Amino acid sequence: MIFTRFARETRTSVEAAIEEARMLGHDSIGDEDLLLGILRADEGIAAESLSSLGVTLEDARDESERMTSEALSSVGISLEDLRRQAGDAFDVRIPADRRIPFSPRAKRALEQALGEARVLGDNRITSEHVLRGILRVDECTAVRMLARLGVSPATLEDRMSELRGRAAS
Amino acid sequence: MPEDPREGLEAVVALRRTLEALEAAQVENAFVLGWSWARIAEVLGVSKQAVHKKHAARIKARYPGEPPGRTRRNI
Repeated sequence: MIFTRFARETRTSVEAAIEEARMLGHDSIGDEDLLLGILRADEGIAAESLSSLGVTLEDARDESERMTSEALSSVGISLEDLRRQAGDAFDVRIPADRRIPFSPRAKRALEQALGEARVLGDNRITSEHVLRGILRVDECTAVRMLARLGVSPATLEDRMSELRGRAAS
Repeated sequence: MPEDPREGLEAVVALRRTLEALEAAQVENAFVLGWSWARIAEVLGVSKQAVHKKHAARIKARYPGEPPGRTRRNI
């Protein structure tokens, strides 16, 4: 199983991803939640690259919510109105006793992470590999989210390589 | 219809997630106003057990004791 090869920071970030998904009411852990998890765990080259490019956890959460809101308005539903009508009790959080699965794209990102570690000759899967893995997944939400935050996959990969080179020297 | 099918499909996901929150809010509101689980379940078209299982723990945690406006009499 892939999880046994996770570095400690990766376990932390995946656990954080599950928390983020729960908090945002995502009924599966998506690739964008893996990204949020990396930001929330705030450890290692992946998190450092993101923050050096100006991506914060708060911005990414807001962007995720904005994307949900835009999706709803594309079919004529206003999330803001729903919230206003329902008041305090409107709570998207998923209760702790309900298990949420990884989405197919998130699974693919984690599989890709394994490949990334192999290509880079690393034994442990770090959150850098997970982030690189996310960038390999076609049409993924995390990449669109990053684009909206002004960060392209190429820029992010370059920054990670830069920081990796610095750590090695 | 949204022009991009992806947008339409994502709307479905967003709606599914939002529906859960909306149900939670509406059930809580009915409960606080004194509706019985049986009555809430009836309107939702599901069994009383199903509603209770899904919502009771959460709502009771939010209102230790009886919620305001809800009295023994109307339970």
